[in-house]
Amino acid sequence: MPLDAAAREHLLAFADDEHMIGARHTTWIGLGPFLEEDLAFCSIAQDELGHAIGLYEILLEGSDIELDAFAMLRDPGDYRSCWLAEADCSEWSDSLVRHWLYDRGEALRWGALTDCQDGRVSGLADRALREESFHLAHAENFMARIAGSETTGHIATSIQRLLPVARGMWDIPESGDPASTGFTSRSVPELAAEWETLIAGDLARWGLTVELPTDSVVTAQTNRTVRSDGFSDFHADLKRVILLDTSAVW
Amino acid sequence: MNTYEVFLKKAGRDEFRHAGSLEASDPDMALMYARETHVRRGEGAEMWLVDRRHVLVGDESALAVNTDKPHRHNDGALVAARRKEQRDGSTKETT
Repeated sequence: MPLDAAAREHLLAFADDEHMIGARHTTWIGLGPFLEEDLAFCSIAQDELGHAIGLYEILLEGSDIELDAFAMLRDPGDYRSCWLAEADCSEWSDSLVRHWLYDRGEALRWGALTDCQDGRVSGLADRALREESFHLAHAENFMARIAGSETTGHIATSIQRLLPVARGMWDIPESGDPASTGFTSRSVPELAAEWETLIAGDLARWGLTVELPTDSVVTAQTNRTVRSDGFSDFHADLKRVILLDTSAVW
Repeated sequence: MNTYEVFLKKAGRDEFRHAGSLEASDPDMALMYARETHVRRGEGAEMWLVDRRHVLVGDESALAVNTDKPHRHNDGALVAARRKEQRDGSTKETT
């Protein structure tokens, strides 16, 4: 089934988000706060990279473009990732908060694709959602415990810093909301509103009182066409291996 | 953090076997980490987690082998001699 422009841009944005956040999560390999968490977090990272591959495969079906080259070697302006996925979260509290904010949104995004008429997309959404249930359980379990015992204010600070960035996840690419053609079952604003409710509900359940910022990076992202600060260094890191030998088969 | 012992059982009649141990803050976290560290690739069909604090541990005295008890030692020599004697007796009677 051919994809229209809105559907393609939507899947590309989702694929790039999954790619970037998966790659960012993998930077914790060997550095997690303890061994079990290291393994769990990096396993989640691999799942996200797998989702990205699945989406890229759909986008590149029938094309001569190599998946690795498409994933790694595009010009920065051709990526459609949101700034939350691109962000350098070198503090564990930032990475944990991002994981929670992103996966709350990711599950909603996949959920809006399970009834997609394109069987490739709905099939991938079903598979991804089975993994998302673990990702969400992990985020919720970890956040509930650390938020409940927080004395340093790290988590609250991370939430205040990242919430406006996370709202950029709901920035719609230039081709428009794919719900308008029925490609997704729910519109992006509808998903964004539910996400805000879920986030507030989580915080209330955890007893974490944080003054939530109301701003957003959506406008600055300009339909996801503008990359965040630090992207060029991140992108250079991502490309480092593939550029050693672009013809290598992995 | 507490230590949890992980036991896995494959489908069928195999018994539960010790698969390893992990550290977690509480049972729910332990179950979540066990899933990621031990059964992500279908290594087991059933899983037990045991909080190590609840394991009863036998001390050295319970495990030490006591070989110095000739008073109850039986190497079978007396029984063997008695049976030989019976065999020899029955042989004589039949000839």
